[in-house]
Amino acid sequence: MANATKIQAQERTEKGTRAAVRLRCEGLVPANLYGHGQASQMIAVSEDVVNPLIRSGHKLVEITCGGKVETALVREVQWNSVDRVITHVDFMRIDVNERVDVIVPVVLKGTAPGVIGAGVLEQPVHTLHIEASAADVPDSIVIKIDQLQLGQSIHVRDLTDLPSGVTVKAPGDLVIVHIVVPRSQEAPVAEPNAAPVQPELVAKKKKEDEAAK
Amino acid sequence: MALMPKRVKHRKVQRGRIKGNATRGNTVSFGEFGLQAIHGGYVNATTIEACRVAANQYIRGEGRLFIRIFPSKPMTARPLETRMGTGKGEPDHWVAVVKPGTVMFEIAGASKESARDCFNRVAHKLPLGVRMVERRPGA
Repeated sequence: MANATKIQAQERTEKGTRAAVRLRCEGLVPANLYGHGQASQMIAVSEDVVNPLIRSGHKLVEITCGGKVETALVREVQWNSVDRVITHVDFMRIDVNERVDVIVPVVLKGTAPGVIGAGVLEQPVHTLHIEASAADVPDSIVIKIDQLQLGQSIHVRDLTDLPSGVTVKAPGDLVIVHIVVPRSQEAPVAEPNAAPVQPELVAKKKKEDEAAK
Repeated sequence: MALMPKRVKHRKVQRGRIKGNATRGNTVSFGEFGLQAIHGGYVNATTIEACRVAANQYIRGEGRLFIRIFPSKPMTARPLETRMGTGKGEPDHWVAVVKPGTVMFEIAGASKESARDCFNRVAHKLPLGVRMVERRPGA
């Protein structure tokens, strides 16, 4: 397969936290390979291989493990949020001819004229749930915002130049990106010499409500 | 006006301990760039307000700021020049409990350079070690 990244993996026998920590100390990332009615397989992949793969956003891989080659999709990645390293990867076995559901990032291309005219670019949706042929899963969905003016938005239904065979599984009226007028972010001004405000007590309010009844 | 809860169950709470890293609120979720705590600690409501003002003055009209922490813990204090004893002090201010890894502020719609400069100003107001982080690949 042309667009699958080839990676070498090794089987791992030990499971559990300590075994995983030992693997990470050796520069390996624990991973699992599952799906297609076969038993889940515990594998380990080199960190030097996994890091560029995940950061590239590429999903389709060909895993060689114990002389067996399997095609899989990167399904889930676990991170250590403090050290910012990958701690575990889930690979899902697939058949290249089947259609799969994947979540891909949205990448905005170009500079919107509305931003130059004092607008703020807001992107409420950063990832899209799509269905595509396993062999043609795109790394990202690229959206051109060259024509986006102040007050305009791009919805899911406006995505017409998707890669062939890709269907977005999201409601058509979902806003992906829009340009809005900057919000006024002024805080309410407190009255000078006002008594410090204390929050209401839940139990006290209940008692007051009961007394009122 | 500084943030504080509208309703609480108890006026005073025990101090507690800040143990471990953040397991929630540790990713950039709303914007493109975030300010992540690398140490644990308490962030005062007035400090959050100072950060908000500093950030908004800088990114004025260029982006949007998200505040991901909320001061929900009351801290008590004793009046000045009083003797010890006679119970716990009265509620004095509100703090947000921040664990290492918490993304405290996020910026959307601004360039990386602007976000870095903005967070630099915010970081000077914070009592914790912080760093700027971007969205995770594929997230």
